[in-house]
Amino acid sequence: MNGWTGHILRVNLTTKTFKKEAFSEDFARKWIGGRGFAVKILYDELAPGIDPLGPDNKFIVALGPIAGIPAPNTGKAVVAGKSPSTGGYGDGNIGTRVAEQLRKAGYDALIVEGRAAGPTMLYIEDDKVEFLPADAVWGQGTYVTNDWIYAKYGKSVGVLNIGQAGENLVRYAVVRSLEGRAGGRTGMGAVMGSKLLKAVVVKGTKSIPQADPAGMKKVGHDDLREVHRIDKEAGWSIQSTNGVLAWCNEVAALPVRNFRKTHHPDAWKCDGERLNNARIATYGCPNCTMRCGITIHDEEGRESELDYENVGLLGPNLEIFDLPAIGSLNYLCDDYGIDTMSGGCVLSFYADAIDRGAVPGGYKFGDVAGSKALLGQIARREGEIGNILAEGSMRAARKFGHGSIDYAMQVKGLEVAAYNCKFIPGMALAFGVSPIGAHHKESWVITFELKQTSRESYGPEKAQKVIDLQRIRGGLFEYIVACRFPWIEVGWSLENYPKYFKLVSGLDWTLDDFWTISDRIYSMIKLFWLREYPETDRKLDYPPAVWFDPANVDTEGPIAGKHLEVDKYDGLLQHYYDLRGYDRRGIPTKATLERLGVAEEGRAAEKFGKLS
Amino acid sequence: MKITVKLIGPFVQLFGFSEKELDVPGGTTADDLIGLVSIDRSRPKIVTRNGRAVVPGEALAEGDRLVISPIYSGG
Ligand code: SF4
Repeated sequence: MNGWTGHILRVNLTTKTFKKEAFSEDFARKWIGGRGFAVKILYDELAPGIDPLGPDNKFIVALGPIAGIPAPNTGKAVVAGKSPSTGGYGDGNIGTRVAEQLRKAGYDALIVEGRAAGPTMLYIEDDKVEFLPADAVWGQGTYVTNDWIYAKYGKSVGVLNIGQAGENLVRYAVVRSLEGRAGGRTGMGAVMGSKLLKAVVVKGTKSIPQADPAGMKKVGHDDLREVHRIDKEAGWSIQSTNGVLAWCNEVAALPVRNFRKTHHPDAWKCDGERLNNARIATYGCPNCTMRCGITIHDEEGRESELDYENVGLLGPNLEIFDLPAIGSLNYLCDDYGIDTMSGGCVLSFYADAIDRGAVPGGYKFGDVAGSKALLGQIARREGEIGNILAEGSMRAARKFGHGSIDYAMQVKGLEVAAYNCKFIPGMALAFGVSPIGAHHKESWVITFELKQTSRESYGPEKAQKVIDLQRIRGGLFEYIVACRFPWIEVGWSLENYPKYFKLVSGLDWTLDDFWTISDRIYSMIKLFWLREYPETDRKLDYPPAVWFDPANVDTEGPIAGKHLEVDKYDGLLQHYYDLRGYDRRGIPTKATLERLGVAEEGRAAEKFGKLS
Repeated sequence: MKITVKLIGPFVQLFGFSEKELDVPGGTTADDLIGLVSIDRSRPKIVTRNGRAVVPGEALAEGDRLVISPIYSGG
């Protein structure tokens, strides 16, 4: 089967057994890989209602048909499982050598089941699987763990590992790889931790089956050079993702003070220009020629790799504008294996809750030392407050009460990324309908909203744009499994991806064929949600309530006096449902499921929740 | 009239300044200003005036802040 290795590796940590399982060509064509494989496997194999942090959950690593093959930005893997933060399907993508090594070992996906008796490192080399003790690094951060693994196997192996946050089941713990890569902010690090799985190490020596290996090699190498050239011409990687910080500040879209403010006079201190000036090194994912990981010295002199999301949420959102200080908070998150975005939002929520008297405490916005200490308490689940905050902002708000849920900046239990949608209706919708909680990876419409339509509009054009972007960002790039940045940031044509797909698989598909796959996968994620939450309601697709609050408006600047309006937002949401073929709860109708070839999966969901 | 021009992201390095104040004649448009600061017109960009996207040919006013940015697509 060209384009796929045709096999999945299934490992059981309880019984210390493993199986190499073949999958059919039909399965491959219907789900492609990455997120498609992950959601289908989890839907078929997980009983609804299982504890995401119990042995019944499964940890999946899934790759796509172009993963690991030298071509623009293919060094990515999807990590997935039932999410401890949302209770629905959860995933994330991560830059890692596992992408290449697992495919060379002969697998398109890895399924980890059960729970080990003690801290374990899984070592996979082609057909061999070893269950090795990881006691030596249990309790250690991800940097020490990574070095320990490199010292044993060298730096060419693929590694996924967790820090203390994953071990201690922090609901927004991530998986880590390489110098500064992280993925699975829906709590995939905690899923690993719940299985006492400290690390997965992979080495492969086989070749990946391809329809036209010589053609792919030539095109892949030529395109890597071309992406490098156009990035240099555009200058994108000079400031990388943090270039957008200054712009967000100008257009009132920056999260400041738990998203209460949208811009700040000191934001320039941590913008892309300053980050580039402070750069000491640049890191990136495998098979990337536009590397975006800008590293600086933090306050303690350690190397810390920053991007926009972590600067935005650990910086201005906490009213911290000093880059080395932000670097320190980012370093701690990375070392503990805490998601930087959720970590930033949880801290800002706590400071806000204290500020508003919902909970007593001495922590304040702008408190760098306090932030450092709290991150440690969260990672170790130390004391009452460490334990509460380790649960994420939604659960912490339920505990604190006093209406604090209104300013817990999350959707469905996952904290929002670093775009303040106080008055950006389409982006608020993008967060609202992201099927895994408020993630920016699914859709990002702010420039469209400002340039192609009006910021004030709640019209169907915005809902359509959200869908178009979901098909590309949350669809194509998450199942073919490649980094979206060449397309997003330097204009690399989408038409390149059917071209690569044809070279590896021999299948001549159009982008429209891919959009059907994207819609199918989104429907499956919604079915997973329905099974877990039969009483699901459209309110779950609403953004945080504070964005609707007239008392929270800016008093000056470009959006002074403006806020999102509930009725209009609800109308925009309905446009989205109508265009998608979803019912009023946001669940695909039977007709939609039939059209997308998942009627059978729909019937399986009906045992738990109604379809219309 | 005095207008502040702010460049974003790699435009800072590519066009050689971060922010500057210009004294321009009344009636100057956003388009005219882009020419004045030697920004390559063919480059995809989004231009905002006081935080809102400008329409081509829009006339500027005293004290305006014009921000010229590449088209970011959100990480
Ligand atoms: S652009 Fe950044 S995230 Fe994407 S592959 Fe390159 S280094 Fe990784």
